[in-house]
Amino acid sequence: MSKIEKALEKAGEERGSLQLVPGAVAGGRVAPWTALLGQRSDDPETISRMDGNEPTLLSADELWDRGIIHPQRTEEPAVQVFRELRTKIVQQSLGQNVVILITAVNKGNGGSFIARNLGAAFAFDSAKTSLLVDCNLGNPSVHQLLSDASAPGLVDYFENPEIDVSRIIHPVGIPRFRAIPTGGLRDVPMEHLASLKMRGLMDTLRERYRERFIVLDGPSMANIADVRILSELADYVLVVARHGRTTNAQIESGLSAISNTKLLGIVFNDEPRIPWTR
Amino acid sequence: MEMYPEQIAKALINESFHSRRLFVALFVVVNLVALAVGFGWPKSYMSSTSILVDDKNIIQPLMLGAAVATDIADRGKNAREVIFSRKIMSGVLERGGWMKNNPSAAQQDQLIEQIKRRTTVFNAPGGGKAIINIDYRDNEQVRAYLVTEAFADLFIAEVVAEKKSEILAAFEFIDKQAQGYEHKLTITEDELRQLRASNLGARPGGEVELSARLISLNTRIENTTLELREAEMKHASLDRQVNGEAEVTVLATREGQFRARIAELQARLDTLRLSFHDTHPDIVQLKNQIQDLRAEAGAQRERREKAKPSDRLESDETVVNNPVYQQLRRELSQSQLTIDALKSRIAEAQRLLREEANRSKDLHGGDARLAELTRDYQINRDIYQDLLRRRERARVSMNLDSDSLGLSLKILEPAAPSPPVSGPRFWHFVVGGVALGILLPLGLFYSRMMFDPRVRLANAISQRHGVPVAAIVPHLWKPGDLMGLRKELVMLAAVVAATLALSATLSVVRLLGAL
Repeated sequence: MSKIEKALEKAGEERGSLQLVPGAVAGGRVAPWTALLGQRSDDPETISRMDGNEPTLLSADELWDRGIIHPQRTEEPAVQVFRELRTKIVQQSLGQNVVILITAVNKGNGGSFIARNLGAAFAFDSAKTSLLVDCNLGNPSVHQLLSDASAPGLVDYFENPEIDVSRIIHPVGIPRFRAIPTGGLRDVPMEHLASLKMRGLMDTLRERYRERFIVLDGPSMANIADVRILSELADYVLVVARHGRTTNAQIESGLSAISNTKLLGIVFNDEPRIPWTR
Repeated sequence: MEMYPEQIAKALINESFHSRRLFVALFVVVNLVALAVGFGWPKSYMSSTSILVDDKNIIQPLMLGAAVATDIADRGKNAREVIFSRKIMSGVLERGGWMKNNPSAAQQDQLIEQIKRRTTVFNAPGGGKAIINIDYRDNEQVRAYLVTEAFADLFIAEVVAEKKSEILAAFEFIDKQAQGYEHKLTITEDELRQLRASNLGARPGGEVELSARLISLNTRIENTTLELREAEMKHASLDRQVNGEAEVTVLATREGQFRARIAELQARLDTLRLSFHDTHPDIVQLKNQIQDLRAEAGAQRERREKAKPSDRLESDETVVNNPVYQQLRRELSQSQLTIDALKSRIAEAQRLLREEANRSKDLHGGDARLAELTRDYQINRDIYQDLLRRRERARVSMNLDSDSLGLSLKILEPAAPSPPVSGPRFWHFVVGGVALGILLPLGLFYSRMMFDPRVRLANAISQRHGVPVAAIVPHLWKPGDLMGLRKELVMLAAVVAATLALSATLSVVRLLGAL
């Protein structure tokens, strides 16, 4: 285990103790389970500490190669788009941190791409952190961002009761951006996602940092049952449709599975645009 | 789905970029097809001529009323029918050189149909009906010219000939009519002359005179009859008076003388007796004398009584005629004379009256005939004079036409001896190919954008599903992809340039006439 990992683990344990402290709800709109679990941390120190704990960061070009936006790339229209999307969500959440489910209408629509970049966009803001959770157990992608592709993830958390939450949260080389992979390509029943443990995990994650925005990279709407389960966990749902790939009928049937109150809107992905133009 | 034009344009550009390879492929294919079609397209030469139909030339206003120029404008209107008539088309076949191969009648018909299809007859825009344009298209340069020229020549010849024959026919008709009326007029004149000769009284005013004469005759008869009646009454009265008067006062003659003597003597006697006695000598003498006288008177009466039945006067008697009787007798004979004269005058007047009545009978019959003939004569004369005028006008018109002054068909623009190539040129195909090569993919992309069930426009989603579009994420170009894109774009540009270069080269080569 590397030095960094140890430090991370240590930090995770510290935060884990925090969540056990019961307390009154500190104003604002808070999910019911959040209220049960107690006071949230809004200690700015945690963020600065997190900043200090950043592993080696990736350069803008390296991120670019991986299809992730970077705040320095201001000439890139996508950066602006994700910034606006982030701002929209922050305004909608009235200052609370929220769980956002990203689900594609069908496979290949780029749901993971949107989830990843939305997370990165949240992390642009030095006062916010973001956590990307790979819930697409059938077709995971988040592990590609990690230095160790086989790092423990969600499945390990479910299968191993001993494992601590901090063990599955990994840095990805972007400041204030963490990710939870699925934990390897294994055939895992989706029922895990519907379990109480999953719900507890979500609350834990949410409560850990008040300024942490959690992005769930969900499966495509072909697995309508999974999307339904995940949408229960999320505060908001974004549906991804891709230019020239998604039919109106597919969008219609997918939208019927999601409650209107949670549906934030549709993200139209991969609109053709000539590069070098604004 | 409502979109603003700039939205459509932007979406189209993006779509074209997205499907750039398809775009270029379509561009190349369309251009190649256009080049191929351009090569295969047959050359055609269009020759054109225009004919001016001048229906208002200088001579017409001058000759207004005196001559009528045949109406060319009407022929201008149906120039198409005239030009495509069998007669002209046969001439065109001849001049166009089709008859050299001795085509059958059916083949000729076919050829004519083909020529008709390649010919356009229309009135030049702006010139109204006055300018007839004939366009003819052929794939042989010389023939295009020959046929067009033939069209113009034959058309004009046909129209002029028709015009001439028309005016000639009109003239002949008018002439025939005029002659007919002249003949009628002569006949009427003859009849009139005969009638006048046979009936002298038949002259204007004869009837009035006759009636005046009849009236005067009637008056005369009446007056004379009245006079006659008067004379007759006078005669009767005289007659009666004459009968009442004695013819002679014969009794007063001898016997009367005696009686007068006797009375005289008696008176003296009576006077003497007053102073003397009967025995006085004077008295006795007187008594003797009276006695003698009485005897004498008796003897005289006796003689007269005897002579009376013989109804002759006793010449020896002293006859004294009655003067009243004489007078009456004279008057009576005078009145008889008057009566006779009047009677003869009446008879004469009546004879005259009868004569005049007969004459008037004749006169009336002649009058009706005369009126009829005169009427005929006048009408015929009017018509004849009118026809004569018309005939002269027709003659002038005919001269006008034969001197070609009224001719108002002119070849305004003769067919060019070497008509330029017409129809789509090769460069048309090249330019059309380029334009279509761009427009066709754009059209395809536009229809794909509109009708593809897959979503290609973000605002279509919100409109259709009622869900807001949270974000429109453009394609993220990674550095490696951009490198590939650059190469691809260079390749595509090269392909487009090559296509354009090929088109341009072929155009130039074709223009120089090498192909």
